[in-house]
Amino acid sequence: MFGPEVAESLAMSGHGHSAHKLNNGNREEQPTMKIPLLATALFLLLPAWGYSQTTDELVKGATDTANVLNYGMGYHQQRFSPLSQVNKQTARNLVPAWNLSLDDNRSQESHPLVYNGVIYVTTHAATIAVDAKSGKQIWKTKVEYPPETPRIVCCGIINRGAALYDGKVFRTTLDAHVVALDAKTGQELWKQEVINWKDGYSQTLAPLVADGVVITGTSGGEYGIRGFIDGWDPATGKHLWRTYTIPGPGEPGNDSWPGDTWKHGGGSTWITGSYDPELKTVYWGVGNAGPWNAAVRQPGDNLHTTSVLALDPQTGKIKWHFQFSPNDPYDFDAVADMVLVDMDVRGTPTKALLNANRNGFLYVLDRTNGKLIAANKFVKTMNWATGIDESGRPIESDLTKKMRATGETVEVWPSVWGGKAWSPSAYNPGTGLLYANTLEFGMKYTPTKPQYRAGTTYWGADLEWVFPEDKNVGYLKAIEPLTGKAKWEVPSPTPRWGGVLTTAGGVVFSGQATGEFEAFDADTGQKLWQFQTGSGVEGQPVTWQQDGVQYVAVTVGHGGAYVVYAGDERLANVPSGGSLWVFALHPQLVQASR
Amino acid sequence: MRIPAWPVLALVFCLVGARASPAADDRADAAPSPELVSQGKGLYRQLCSTCHGVNMVNPGTSSFDLRMFPREDRDRFVGSVTHGKNSMPAWGDMLQPDEIEVLWAYVRAGGKS
Repeated sequence: MFGPEVAESLAMSGHGHSAHKLNNGNREEQPTMKIPLLATALFLLLPAWGYSQTTDELVKGATDTANVLNYGMGYHQQRFSPLSQVNKQTARNLVPAWNLSLDDNRSQESHPLVYNGVIYVTTHAATIAVDAKSGKQIWKTKVEYPPETPRIVCCGIINRGAALYDGKVFRTTLDAHVVALDAKTGQELWKQEVINWKDGYSQTLAPLVADGVVITGTSGGEYGIRGFIDGWDPATGKHLWRTYTIPGPGEPGNDSWPGDTWKHGGGSTWITGSYDPELKTVYWGVGNAGPWNAAVRQPGDNLHTTSVLALDPQTGKIKWHFQFSPNDPYDFDAVADMVLVDMDVRGTPTKALLNANRNGFLYVLDRTNGKLIAANKFVKTMNWATGIDESGRPIESDLTKKMRATGETVEVWPSVWGGKAWSPSAYNPGTGLLYANTLEFGMKYTPTKPQYRAGTTYWGADLEWVFPEDKNVGYLKAIEPLTGKAKWEVPSPTPRWGGVLTTAGGVVFSGQATGEFEAFDADTGQKLWQFQTGSGVEGQPVTWQQDGVQYVAVTVGHGGAYVVYAGDERLANVPSGGSLWVFALHPQLVQASR
Repeated sequence: MRIPAWPVLALVFCLVGARASPAADDRADAAPSPELVSQGKGLYRQLCSTCHGVNMVNPGTSSFDLRMFPREDRDRFVGSVTHGKNSMPAWGDMLQPDEIEVLWAYVRAGGKS
C-alpha cells in the first residue's frame, strides 16, 4: 500500500511519465483530472517493473546473460559473456537474424545495451530503441546540435552508447550536453549543458552510472581544453561534482605544469570508465597532454594527463593515480579501457587493472592502490622507450632524448595512434588472455610551435605516417597480461577499429575495417566464421540470450579516426552507412541444440 | 531629375575593371605562390586535416577527397568553407577571407608544398 507521500515521491523521482518535457521541449503534458492516489501509484509502478534498472541489476550485469546492462558487458569491462550456445563448434552456423538501418553515414561505435528484450543504441544524431527479436524500431529520439560543432571534433563524428538506470536512458551529445530519456518512450526528461563546445569541448562517450551517480567525461584533448569528469543526479540532472584531470593552482600536482600551461593542458576523458562496486571505486583513463609539443610543458610531468584515476563515485575525489607517460610528447592518450580482473599474480589472488596502453606497454596494476605489478611491450616495433622502470616511469630511448633536446624530426614507433587506440579489448577468464586490436605503424614526428586559438586544434607537431613493409597495420592479439607476449595474432592490412568480445564458448568476436564481422577460436586464433556487413566494423560487439537463443549484435558503419585522418586509401571502396546487425545460430540448429 | 553621368560611369568602370583585373586572372589561372601554399598548409593542418587527412590524403568516403576538388571552381570552395556543405561544417564565422584564400591556394596545389 502506498500513501500520498510515496506517490508524490515516485512522481518527483521520475519513475513515471506524469509531467515531463516532450522532445520538442515547448510543451508539457498537463494532468486533466484527479484520480485516486493509490491508482496513480500503481500506474506509476507498472512501467518501472519493465523499464527500471536498479543498482543491484547493474552490479550483476556481467553475469546477467538475458540482458546487456553495462558498457563493456559488465562494470569490470571484461567484455566477456558466460554464454556458450555459440561456441567453437557452432559459430560457423551463425546467420543474420536482422539488420536495422541507423540512417546515418558517420562512424558507428555505439555499444548496444539490452534490457527486457529492448536494445538501446545511439548515433551522434539519435537515440534508438529496438525490439530485440524482430529488429523493429520502437522509438527514435533525435539529437540536435549546432551544425558547426564538428569543427571541434578531431576524430570522427561518433557516439559510443548510452547508460541505463532507473527507467532512464542517459547519453551525451557532440555539443557537450548530458541527456536523460524515458526508456519506455524516448521522451526527454532532462538535459544539462556540460560546458561551451566552442572552446573545443565535445562528448562522444557513453555515461557510466556507478553507485547511483551518472558519470561523464569530455573529448577535446587536441583543442587546448582542460579535461574533467562530472557527476550528475540521475533523477534531476543536478550537477553533483566536477573533478579536473589537471590540478589548478594550489592543488597537488599543479606544480607539474610550468606557468599557465595547465589551462590548455588537455587531459581529456573521452572513454567510459570501469567500476568496482566492492571497492566503490571508478577507474577512468585520462588523455594526452596538450599541445603535443612537450617542450611547451617542460619542466614537469603534467599531471594527471596520460593517467588512470581511481575515483569515489559519490564525490569525484581522487583516491590514487598512476601516470603512464609523463610529459608525453607523442599523444599517448591513456583513456582506453581499464579492464578489471581478479587474477593470480605469482601465487597471490590480486584485484588487478589491465590496460593495453597507447604507448605500447600492457600494464597490470593493483587496483586497490595503483601500484605497478607488470608493464611489458605488446607491439612488435617500439623505439620511443626501452622499458618501464620499477617505479612505473618509462625509460626513454636515445631517440626520444634526442628529439627532446634538439626538436629534430624523428621516426617514432608506435605513432600517435599508439599500440592500441580506443578499440576496447576483452578478457576471457577461461583462457586468462586479453584480446586486443593492436596497431603496428610509426610516424615521422616534428615538433612545431603551437598557437592557441579557441575552437581549433592545438597540436604543435607535424606528422607523416610510416607503414610497415608488409603493410599489415593491425593485429588482433591474444596477449598474456603479465608478459605482454601474444599467444596468437591475426594480422590485417587495415586495423580492426572496433571492440572485441569473448565468451565462455571459446569464441572471440571482432570486425574488419573492410566490413567483415568475424569469430575466432579464443585458444588458437583460427577464424571460425565471418560475414560481410556492408561497411567498416567500428562497433562494440555484445551478446545476450533471449528465449533460448544466443544473439550477437554489433553496430557497423565506418568514419572513425583512422578513416578520416590516417589517409589509408585502401579503404576507398568501403562505403559508409550505419546499421545494427544481430546474429544467431540458424534456427534449426538452435532447435537441435535444445 | 537629372542624374550626373560621371558617378554612373565610374561605377560601370569599377565593375568591369574588377572583373577584368589582372589580379583576378592570376587567382583563377596561375599557380598559387609557394608562400600562399605554405601558409595554407599550416592552416589546413590546424583546421581541416582531421577530416580530410594529412596532406589531403584520405579515402574520400566519409569526408570529401579534396584532391578531387575542381581547381577552377574557387567560388564553390569559398562557398563550401563559408557556409558548409553536406557533412562539412560552416567556417564563415571564424575564418577571415584571406584565410580562406590561403586554404584555396593549398587545395589548388593538391596538398603539396
